[in-house]
Amino acid sequence: MDQDQPKGWSRRRFLGGAAILAAVVGVPLAAIRLDLFNTQEAPSERQRDLMRTVSQIVIPKTDTPGAGDVGAGDFVLLGLAHGLEKSRAPLAKDAPEALTRHARKDGSLDQAAWLETELDARAKGDFLKAAPDAQARLLAALDAEAYAEGVREHPWRTVKALILIGYYTSESGGSQELQFNLVPGTYDPDVPVTPQTRAFSSDWTAVDFG
Amino acid sequence: MDFDAIVVGSGITGGLAAKELTEAGLKVLMIERGRNIRHQQDYTTEMKTPWEMPFRGIGDQELYAREHAVQMLNRHFTEYTQNHFVNDAQNPYTKTEGTDFNWFRSYQLGGRSLTWGRQSYRWSDYDFEANKRDGHGTDWPIRYADLAPWYDKVEEFIGVSGAKEGLKQLPDGRFQPPMALNPVEQHVREVMQANWPERRLTIGRTANLTEGKGERGQCQNRSICARGCSYGAYFSTQSSTLPAAMATGRLTVITDAVVEKLDYDPATRRITGVRYLDRNTKERKTATARMVFLNAGAFNSVHVLLNSASEAMPNGLANSSGVLGTHIMDHANTLSAIALMPGFEDRTTTGNRPTGVVVARYRNMDAMDGEGHTRGYSFQGGALQSTWTAGKRDPGIGAELKQKLQKPGMWRMVLVAFADCVPRASNRLTLDPKAVDADGIPQLNIAFAFGKEERAALAQAKADAGEMLTKAGGKVIMGFDQPGAGGTAIHEMGGARMGHDPATSVLNKWSQSHDIANLFVTDGAQMSSSACQNPSLTYMALTARAADAAASMLREGKI
Repeated sequence: MDQDQPKGWSRRRFLGGAAILAAVVGVPLAAIRLDLFNTQEAPSERQRDLMRTVSQIVIPKTDTPGAGDVGAGDFVLLGLAHGLEKSRAPLAKDAPEALTRHARKDGSLDQAAWLETELDARAKGDFLKAAPDAQARLLAALDAEAYAEGVREHPWRTVKALILIGYYTSESGGSQELQFNLVPGTYDPDVPVTPQTRAFSSDWTAVDFG
Repeated sequence: MDFDAIVVGSGITGGLAAKELTEAGLKVLMIERGRNIRHQQDYTTEMKTPWEMPFRGIGDQELYAREHAVQMLNRHFTEYTQNHFVNDAQNPYTKTEGTDFNWFRSYQLGGRSLTWGRQSYRWSDYDFEANKRDGHGTDWPIRYADLAPWYDKVEEFIGVSGAKEGLKQLPDGRFQPPMALNPVEQHVREVMQANWPERRLTIGRTANLTEGKGERGQCQNRSICARGCSYGAYFSTQSSTLPAAMATGRLTVITDAVVEKLDYDPATRRITGVRYLDRNTKERKTATARMVFLNAGAFNSVHVLLNSASEAMPNGLANSSGVLGTHIMDHANTLSAIALMPGFEDRTTTGNRPTGVVVARYRNMDAMDGEGHTRGYSFQGGALQSTWTAGKRDPGIGAELKQKLQKPGMWRMVLVAFADCVPRASNRLTLDPKAVDADGIPQLNIAFAFGKEERAALAQAKADAGEMLTKAGGKVIMGFDQPGAGGTAIHEMGGARMGHDPATSVLNKWSQSHDIANLFVTDGAQMSSSACQNPSLTYMALTARAADAAASMLREGKI
């Protein structure tokens, strides 16, 4: 093992866990490449568990898999590490201590560490050991605060955005929950919406500008 | 001489120059600074799904901040297309203090023909007469009638789909069948016509085939063109001009070859060839020809001329006028209005139409009704629905959120203004006296700022856009009246302007240097004004016209 790898981060465990997950829920492996993590910033196993749990609460399993099921949690961590959704932007100079205590060396917020602390504090203990309905309630409260009137930026918004990306760009989210057609062939400008209509994740204009 | 003609650059105009010159019987060398990209074989991400991409199509923003700090600002730049754009760290340029300019570039065989927006509009005499009318810049030495047959020829070759509207300011062309408006766009078109008869919304005229053409297939409505299209359904060098030129048997192509200078013989007052750097071996080489077409892209063509200064021409090649590098332009561009469009919730679309709509210019035509400006602006945009990405902006989690995001979202209509850019001497390109690139070639310096005319046009455009969408039942939620950084429209042009007078312009009416008879510049550098239409079709028409003239001159021994 690379000596620089932090405790709890193991390629074998990662792949093993993902394979077990895939076998249990019957979905493809999340296509997250391990080598894309800077080993200095690789997440802990607990952060991975937490992000998987949170992702599943945001987009739960229905007749299609949930976001946690399809590996959106790991995608969030990858995205945070690589600046997606402006996650590596420096914290504001007047950012509260609750955020600055989780600042990375480059001055940006380590959102994964922040979320871990934040949810444990709200759960008054280990969030991951709280009952599922309590977890959902706590997360809903955080979400409501993050989108309250007058709030323009909030680290939860970044995490939630990456959960949605991780889910709707996965094979399950993109082609089972929504429809996907890389080669439509034709354009129909006027189609009735029915109760069965599902949006196309391959509507790139909607994805980019909607 | 090694060749009859050397074409520097292989993009939209370089490819066309090579086609026209080889078809005229000339032996041609086309030199491209970037790598080779083979049609249908090297579009490596064309058929990739998001879940096959390491960063799901969005890309590694950390990497982009390091290596593609400018290109990442281009909305066409994604994880799928990143290999079709330059590495900014390896291809630096400098800016004069106070300049806000993003130079979007594609250094590869095909250049920006692989990544262009494909919008193809004719200019009209409102455009060719603009400089003469308001006194900005120098008068064009041509008018629409000079170019009309060349527009015909180019449109028929490249394939432009569009609807005929009979507008003086946006002349109809030789169109393939138009793509369709969606119900919201159709509604806005009707409201516009009922209230402002002089304003016309029509489907974008786009170089995507709605009918197959030779080896090229019709558009599959994927709208992922910038990845490269193996169907050949949009015009690019690879799909169109390169096969035609190669079919003549008279074209030689060299890639990975950066042209540094043109060689000039003061005794004959002719270009004798080009000097180029082999990027891979770092060898410096030469090639000779009876004439040269510069098609390196507006700014790079100017760069080559400035860098070709010699004892005989100390201020740069073909620069006896002193205006080389000056009067550069880019359309002033901003999102004028975005409006929610209620009442269409029961309608959606299938397939991805690879074009939006256009609202033709309607200001400052026969009546001068611009407020603080004398030229035109037009809108591009369209009606679209929101989708799962809207979930990032709204509160909510859980099954309810998932259910909501499963459906096509609210319709919204977007109007983006493109305003005419006044040609100004102060907006100019020079060689940076201090900065060189890794190969020791001087870096280009850009000095650029929009002025009060563009700001006034965008202010009026914002007011108009909001008024029109409100009249159509929309609820305007956002709009801007300030231009984005220069370069945002990716229509940078000028620097070697065409004109009547050798004392005040670089090129004559044939895109030919006033100073050097066997030198032609037929990319965006030749433009004397910007109009408010996308310029590529006009560059192509001018290129075809210049190639025809040059071939005749060569045959007749005039050059």
